[in-house]
Amino acid sequence: MKKHMDQIGEVSDAQLVTAVARYSEVALAEVYRRHGGAVYGLARRVLNSTSEAEDVTQEVFLRLWNQPDRFDPGRGTLRSFLLAQSHARAVDAVRSLNARRAREAKDARRTAAAEYDMSHEAWDLALADKVAGALAELPLDERRAIELAYFDGRTYIEVAELLDTPEGTIKSRIRNGMRRMRAALVEAGVQGVDA
Amino acid sequence: MMSHHEAAELLAVFALDALEPDEHELIEAHLAECPRCRAELDAHRQVAAALGNSVEPLPEGLWSSIASALPPRRDDEPPPMPTLVRDQTGDETSAAPPAATFAAPPARPRAARGRGRLISVASLAVAAAAVAAVLGISLVHDNNQISNLQHSSATSAAAALTTRGHKVVDVESASHVQLAQFVVTPSGQGYLVKSNLPTLSSAQTYQLWGVINGKAISLGLLGHTPNRAAFTFAGSPTPSKLAITVEPAGGSVVPTGSMLATGTV
Repeated sequence: MKKHMDQIGEVSDAQLVTAVARYSEVALAEVYRRHGGAVYGLARRVLNSTSEAEDVTQEVFLRLWNQPDRFDPGRGTLRSFLLAQSHARAVDAVRSLNARRAREAKDARRTAAAEYDMSHEAWDLALADKVAGALAELPLDERRAIELAYFDGRTYIEVAELLDTPEGTIKSRIRNGMRRMRAALVEAGVQGVDA
Repeated sequence: MMSHHEAAELLAVFALDALEPDEHELIEAHLAECPRCRAELDAHRQVAAALGNSVEPLPEGLWSSIASALPPRRDDEPPPMPTLVRDQTGDETSAAPPAATFAAPPARPRAARGRGRLISVASLAVAAAAVAAVLGISLVHDNNQISNLQHSSATSAAAALTTRGHKVVDVESASHVQLAQFVVTPSGQGYLVKSNLPTLSSAQTYQLWGVINGKAISLGLLGHTPNRAAFTFAGSPTPSKLAITVEPAGGSVVPTGSMLATGTV
């Protein structure tokens, strides 16, 4: 058995997805083992709820099972594909009324902390330092706009209202911040972020 | 309709899922037409993924819950349909490096394919040994969808031949022998009109490819005795060429052999 596990551990992500397309639960389980923690971690962060994050994670993997051809390795890594799926579903959930109420409570609790600081999160090993470094280089207003949009699931219009800032300014901050992040990650040698 | 400039300005916000629904739809419509924006979006999504890459321990029991929710399939149920070309945001110009994948293993007997009858790790390893480079893939599944379409495509092919703007594509071998003829409509539908392709063994299948920006994208399997078949590339650019290869019965994600025949669209 151990030998088998070693073998599947050596299969690439793209190969695993191809096997998933042929109904291999073993392959799906291996995808889950490799990327489930990230899918769940992002959903939990956006939703601030373990049970809802579990629902999102389940949805993401069932979707991969049912529509494996939506993953195109020519357009990015499997991890980024699954994270995009997780984020979109988490945002859908957080924008529903009930989740919004929960978020209000979360915001109230967060007020005491005041500081948006992502560096304490359990980042994925080598990437963590590079992302933290890239974030540290961002002007605070750009970083804040990105965090409020991405991690709280707010639209840019909601972010503008929250920060009492013109919508166009928020769009520019997000755009410039993302470009800056990308440049910093490229410089740090992170693959796949250069267009 | 959103201009390229307007869309490009919003791609970063789109990648964060932070647009209003109406803007989101407008961007999606633009992305379907603009490979440059798709490539830009891919890069933004990689940045977003790096931001959101916060791994947490998985809750106990979550995998069991997922595994038990996998839809059951009867043994005689076919795998998913052969892919069209790709979804509407499919991109043939991504700067991402080629990714490795493997040719799908030959189709196994139906009885061994249902849920609960897993592809063995051994067969996965065998398949993995057939690694091939690929510039961008759509997964290939099986030819059952084409089989289903065969019943309805006789009149459809005839109708396509009367459609305004249709193109007839002669697919020829290197020695200019016509092996098949297709008709392609401006709306992205295609039909096999006639075939001179010799019958293969049941362990093999003809596979149809569309060449888009120099890449071979699977359009589906034609089976071992091509007769009539329908395919679609709606939502993707029209292929510049159609090509046919011989593949193992389950099909392949990338051509594993040289093109048997090609035809310019």
